[in-house]
Amino acid sequence: MDEDIVDYALECAQSKKVDYAEVRANSQAQDRIILRNEILEAFVSAVDSGFCVRIMADGGIGFASTNSWSKEEARKIVDLAFKYAKAAKRKDKLVFAKEKAIKTKWAVEQKKKIENVAPEEKISAFADVNKALASCGVKVPSVMSQVFVDLITKYFVNSEGSRISSFVPKIGAFLYVTVAERGKTEQGYEQFGYSGGWEALDHWKIQEKMVHDATVLRDVITKAKSVKPGEMDLVCGSEVTGIAAHESCGHPMEADRILGREMSQAGRSFIYKGGEYWIGTRIGSDAVTVVDDPTIEHSYGYYPYDDEGVKAGPRFLYKKGLINEFLQNRESAAKLGTKSNGSSRSVNYDREAIVRMANTFVAAGEFTEEELIEDVKQGVFMKSFTEWNIDDKRFNQRYVGKEAYLIKDGELLHPVARPVIETTTLKFWSAVDAVSKKVEFDAATCGKGDPSQGVPVYTGGPCMRLRRVFVK
Amino acid sequence: MSDILGKTEDVVMRAKKLGADEVIAKTTFGKYRQVRFSNNQVDITVAWDDYVTDVALAWKKRVVATQIHDFRDVDATVKGLVALAKVSGENPMFGGFAEGSFRYPRSQADRKLESLESPTELVFEAIGAAEKEAGSEVDSGGILFTKFEDVYLVSSEGPSGTDCRSAVELSIRAFSEREASGHGVECGSTLKDFEPSRAGRKAGEIARLAKNPKVGDEGVYDVIFDPLIFGSVLGVCGGMASAFNVMVQLSVFVDKLGKRVSPEIVTLTDNPAAYSMSQRVFDDEGVPTKANVFIDHGVLKTYLHNASTAKVFKTETTGNAGLVAPNPWNVEMSPGTVSKDELFRGVNRGLYLTNTWYTRFQNYVRGDFSTIPRDGIFLIEHGEVKKSLKDLRISDNVLSMLGNIAGVSKERQHVHWWGEADPPSLSPYVLIKDVHMTKSR
Repeated sequence: MDEDIVDYALECAQSKKVDYAEVRANSQAQDRIILRNEILEAFVSAVDSGFCVRIMADGGIGFASTNSWSKEEARKIVDLAFKYAKAAKRKDKLVFAKEKAIKTKWAVEQKKKIENVAPEEKISAFADVNKALASCGVKVPSVMSQVFVDLITKYFVNSEGSRISSFVPKIGAFLYVTVAERGKTEQGYEQFGYSGGWEALDHWKIQEKMVHDATVLRDVITKAKSVKPGEMDLVCGSEVTGIAAHESCGHPMEADRILGREMSQAGRSFIYKGGEYWIGTRIGSDAVTVVDDPTIEHSYGYYPYDDEGVKAGPRFLYKKGLINEFLQNRESAAKLGTKSNGSSRSVNYDREAIVRMANTFVAAGEFTEEELIEDVKQGVFMKSFTEWNIDDKRFNQRYVGKEAYLIKDGELLHPVARPVIETTTLKFWSAVDAVSKKVEFDAATCGKGDPSQGVPVYTGGPCMRLRRVFVK
Repeated sequence: MSDILGKTEDVVMRAKKLGADEVIAKTTFGKYRQVRFSNNQVDITVAWDDYVTDVALAWKKRVVATQIHDFRDVDATVKGLVALAKVSGENPMFGGFAEGSFRYPRSQADRKLESLESPTELVFEAIGAAEKEAGSEVDSGGILFTKFEDVYLVSSEGPSGTDCRSAVELSIRAFSEREASGHGVECGSTLKDFEPSRAGRKAGEIARLAKNPKVGDEGVYDVIFDPLIFGSVLGVCGGMASAFNVMVQLSVFVDKLGKRVSPEIVTLTDNPAAYSMSQRVFDDEGVPTKANVFIDHGVLKTYLHNASTAKVFKTETTGNAGLVAPNPWNVEMSPGTVSKDELFRGVNRGLYLTNTWYTRFQNYVRGDFSTIPRDGIFLIEHGEVKKSLKDLRISDNVLSMLGNIAGVSKERQHVHWWGEADPPSLSPYVLIKDVHMTKSR
């Protein structure tokens, strides 16, 4: 990364009649390891490096990027971004919410530096997971593993005087497993993610987790019974709590979505000005507080400053059941008359930064997991999920259980095969009557943007108990 | 330009000299432009120029790959890649890159898409058309996307050639009310016959019809799928036809070769033809692309292959090689014998679905999935669209739905849409019987 070229690009932009300009460079050393069972399909190792210019002029925004590092190229993309900004011809001119300039450098520490881990060690760490699955006593015909190792260096400058350098090592893994028994199959996946060094693998305990999953999937085939559809209590494990927090709290609270900027792709939100739901409206019970916090150290979605150079901190999205605070970038904040809360993220130099979640979770309650279950007469404990989705206004969602058990008189009985909750955001969060103490996180890749920008996030929370919801 | 082919060939030669058994290098100069709009105004116009040489090499059945962004870095990068291969694990199923010397047809890419002078005008044309259909209160958003790529490929196994690939897409979603919307797309490889207003009209028409939607009822329906939503189904089928996805059990077509998977009226072909957004004259191994019928009158005839998966399945490559796995390029459904109107007339009570999103599977081998229709959802009674509905979900099975296809229209549209209708497809109106719809409780 040549910071002089980045600075030069900003100078070029400032020599024009711009309202605002920024240059963001991103250099990413990437390893991608693809394994089919324990066989290495391919090892892709590359460096992707480039920079972009975003210009606001005449109330329009232009953006151009390149991966050619030269001053000539810098001039070219500045000209292009400026031309596009002017061509917008907007009736209502865009402005950004005011922010103070920040000059800083930050980095995520590694206990075991990824740079010192040999390729063969990276491969064998995951090939060993497959070996463990092959010998765990469950018939596992297929495991598809994808491993992502990134060393991300960024340099951000803007026309307001901000200058931020950063370095983040990130490791992610996605494993998709198929189990076959008695001529039937069950499938499930696990995702792992961490900002930091190779010590991530010590935290993940992948072998243990994947062998557990294989056993659970086998039990779904051999032991599980269907649930008799009807109203009952549902205890959600942290994984289910986390996906619900992400889908039916995090996404609808993205201010760009609320303002309609994603209307054609990820959609709008059930929350909108003049509608039934807005800040202060009740959306859940008192037990529900959902937080998005990018500053959780070593989390998959970690960052202290966003991709517009704004300092980040925890955002309380739903607070004690009330809609409390939207996720904002500088554009959306200006439109809504507020300040950015550092929610602007971009996946690379060639994508504009848009409003995103980081680590979204339900805040801890006062109960133990056992206390939640022992107070259920008839219900289901949905510990983890498989198929899920939600509509584009983020109101009608569905979660299908992967590991799930019937609860009778406070006791966990047999596994339940694919229980389904299909309900609205209001009903889901209003039904929560108790939340456990222990918050756990799962890694995920959040999809949004066109072209698509999958950003690393955590979803999480404690166990939650929902009273009298329809489970089928 | 032959200079670039020479430099690409040089990458291959250097890797061979360093000990690689087989090498493919593919250089792409890409110019991509996008106008994003919402609330009837342009939010941002984006340009991204990209140069990359993708290099894949094999050494003793160890497959590794990298990207080079500057030809000055070739020596160090190729040396590193060969070293990586030597410490990598063997893939016993790697059957080698495709061999042969081929002549490719001349690309029909549209040079005008290299840099459009006034892309925003095309956007305003679509917005205007939506307003004309649904009224001046309509609120539209979407994208205009253009692509122009110069591609140079050299393989140590013989293939060598150049290609140009262009694409243009206008996608517009119009809201006539908060919960009444329609989506239209206009897609192609060239500006010839490209009409943004067609997409705007379609979005506006559906948005107008979708006003005052009521929550639909759960149940089993005969459903007419619009070309846009059926494009999502075709994308799923194309992906599942990839031999790699079959090998890793991410497909309903596992063990189905030669078997009936749908009625006779269903013929699906993968074809990156000149009209398509996925147009290309060769795949990532340099094999000439062609039309591959993979479901022929309801029978699964072949998977989509690269050279390596073809060897595993004891067949020939179909020209679908991507860097690691074979991919579908553009899925065509053969036209039926009835018109769209006749298809509607044949439905006594059913649904007309226009678009969907968030398709997720419980189990790819079984094919259990759900997806959430969006934009216009309509109740059909006695062959006519009667009522606008909302908040329904398809909760069904891919194989059941393929098996229940009961009608295919003559009319087809080339469709592609963010996230769901991908890869592009040539998609008709399709009637599927007994589709399971669920809703929130």
